[in-house]
Amino acid sequence: MWNQARAIVWAQWKTVRNHIPRSNKAALIFSGVLLAVWYAGFGFLALLAGFFLAKPDEVEFVHRVLPTVLLICLLYWQVIPILMASTGSALDIKKLLVYPIPHRELFTLEVLLRVSTGVEMLLLLAGAGVGLLLNPRVPFWAPWTLAFFVAFNLLCSAGIRDLLARLLARKRVREITTLLFVLAAALPQLMLLGGFQKQLRRVFSSEASPLWLWTAAARLAQGEFSWSNAAVVLAWTAAAYFFGRWQFERGLAFDFAEAAAKSAPRGRTASRLDWFYRLPNAVLPDPLAALIEKELRFLSRAPRFRLVFLMGFSFGILIWFPMAFGGQGRTAHSLVGDNYLTFVSVYALLLLSDSLFWNVFGFDRSAAQVYFLVPVKISTVLVGKNLTAAIFVLLDISAVALVCILLRLPITGLRVLEALAVTLVITTFLVAIGNISSLYNPRGVNPVKSFRTAAGARMQAMLMLLFPVSLAPVALAYLARYAFESEWAFFGVLLFGAALAGVAYWFSMESAVKAAERRKEQIIQALSQGDGLIQS
Amino acid sequence: MFSAISLHNLRKLYGAKAAVDGLDLEVPRGSFFGFLGPNGAGKTTTIRMLMGLAPPTSGTIELLNLPMPERALEVKGKIGLVPDESLLFDHLTGLEFTEFVGRMYGLARPKARERSKELLALFELDGDPRKLIGDYSKGMRKRVAMAAALIHRPELFLLDEPFEGVDAVGARLMKEILLEQVRHGATVFLTSHVLEVVERLCDRVAIIHEGKLVLTGTMAELRTGSETLEDVFVRVVGADRPAESLDWL
Repeated sequence: MWNQARAIVWAQWKTVRNHIPRSNKAALIFSGVLLAVWYAGFGFLALLAGFFLAKPDEVEFVHRVLPTVLLICLLYWQVIPILMASTGSALDIKKLLVYPIPHRELFTLEVLLRVSTGVEMLLLLAGAGVGLLLNPRVPFWAPWTLAFFVAFNLLCSAGIRDLLARLLARKRVREITTLLFVLAAALPQLMLLGGFQKQLRRVFSSEASPLWLWTAAARLAQGEFSWSNAAVVLAWTAAAYFFGRWQFERGLAFDFAEAAAKSAPRGRTASRLDWFYRLPNAVLPDPLAALIEKELRFLSRAPRFRLVFLMGFSFGILIWFPMAFGGQGRTAHSLVGDNYLTFVSVYALLLLSDSLFWNVFGFDRSAAQVYFLVPVKISTVLVGKNLTAAIFVLLDISAVALVCILLRLPITGLRVLEALAVTLVITTFLVAIGNISSLYNPRGVNPVKSFRTAAGARMQAMLMLLFPVSLAPVALAYLARYAFESEWAFFGVLLFGAALAGVAYWFSMESAVKAAERRKEQIIQALSQGDGLIQS
Repeated sequence: MFSAISLHNLRKLYGAKAAVDGLDLEVPRGSFFGFLGPNGAGKTTTIRMLMGLAPPTSGTIELLNLPMPERALEVKGKIGLVPDESLLFDHLTGLEFTEFVGRMYGLARPKARERSKELLALFELDGDPRKLIGDYSKGMRKRVAMAAALIHRPELFLLDEPFEGVDAVGARLMKEILLEQVRHGATVFLTSHVLEVVERLCDRVAIIHEGKLVLTGTMAELRTGSETLEDVFVRVVGADRPAESLDWL
């Protein structure tokens, strides 16, 4: 029993080991350092949690905060992957379904892979568990009950992932699903706005209903045993198991090709958008216009890109709204409120960055070799991809501005101009960095899969390091506005930032062109490679 | 007649379009069966349904007298697959891949490894043991897929274009092995566009067109007079399309 599961893990290990010597060492070290910094931060938090929870005289404090901590862990585990459009590692079921593997083995592996979306929370919970174990006032058995909480999160996350994968495979359902998830993710914020602060605060406090998993799990973990607490924890875990298994079985029987065919665009829709695809031909010569037209057509049809584009303005608007105007009316002044459009636009950039900047040849996969075969300069190809990125960024900002106007938010022409200028400066920095990273660390991306499978932590760590670099000149502009209380100072510094971005873009283009020539073979090979048994 | 494959009124819809439309097919056990059709006729969709990768919209599938998907686990254990290339693992070596497949079919690890080495030597893929499948040529990828299909001595082979890109020596070896397996009682179900190969190897053939079965029978039944299989194929699928000339070409 479990021979096949062991073989899958062995083959995946071989896949990773075989891949490492051939991958870009610098990129590997860079990504390793980023991950180390990211996890070290959570490791430190885990140490702090352990330190506090080990103190015998802090039992009252622990009683108050532990349910809240567990609720935050649960939300992070289940919601952050959706907000980042990244579902972590998962089995490549299509490749494994042809073999006689019992479904329960596949399901167990799939559930264990959900660790990839919550390693940070596992670290925290491990720290908390060790702290409670060392606390002499907590019985020895109690902290081990946190294992049920972990199991619940793994099973629930597996179920949500399978459910999302199926829902997002259908075009029209995908858009509705995204909207529903937007609403679900923004529910706490909307509750705050709707005057439900008291109820929401209660859910997050130690006074929350004992029927909630986090309350019952926290009480058990502190040694407050009661049959009702145990029953609540077991019931939630069992419900998560049935939900996860049900969704997994439905996922196995689901035909993605059939779903895609059912939602294929009809003739009328295709011709309606044709004018948009052909716009570059009106102002640009070939081959640049042809390249941009191809990118516009391709990205507009790629489910993965469509999802992040849609999330860019829908999620962004809802998530930042309560922070900007929550409870104080739309005319109230706050940092986020005064710069609402800019905040939402930069958040949209963050979501779009993986598709438009970091890995521009990813969607082309093995077809990227065409760029090296046709008589077109690689710099022209990159400019084409960068201009396409700019077009989509402009469209996203326009959509954000339009929604803001429709919602009658206090958005002035100057604010729109500011958001536009700020976003374009950041975009120029991002494409400059992205052109280099696309050629030094290319990887094939399946455009049909709506959610990224890349581990969320790697993506978050990348953003943590690269975004601040790109944001620095803009931050200086805001500092100038604050220091001199002058719009002229702001736009002046921003103009300087734009000039810097231009220089960075020029240098990166030089370097990218040389890298493309030098690394042609590696780039084509890297983009042609398929996934292993586990997509990560 | 004991059928290796038995399909009844099999249908697969993609939106409004039927990729496979009411397919009834019996493949006798121990036969070398060619499944032919023009591009987009529904061959790959049929194979995907047989492999369990795509559920049929309606109809029934029985493989080796076992119903699918009810007895899928049992059936899959008796099948050898040469699927399309997307089911290979690019970051494994040939040896690692065949060993992995052997273990998937329930072979103990030492046995799987031993057979993998022998099969790779047979298919002349043991030259560079560290070479990854991602670096293989198209023909080598087909050969490694064939080696993996043989590792558990299956009763039924489902082969999707197995000779595509394989050189003459490799193709000859693959044909000999498959014929040997059929002599020992196995059944081979293959799709191919190389009609000469099908004509030489297969004892029975079915032709599918626009999702429907248009012809099936033994090779002798299909050919009349001096007709080749290619003549039969062109006649049946109506390939005499108007030849439009392009001025500029």
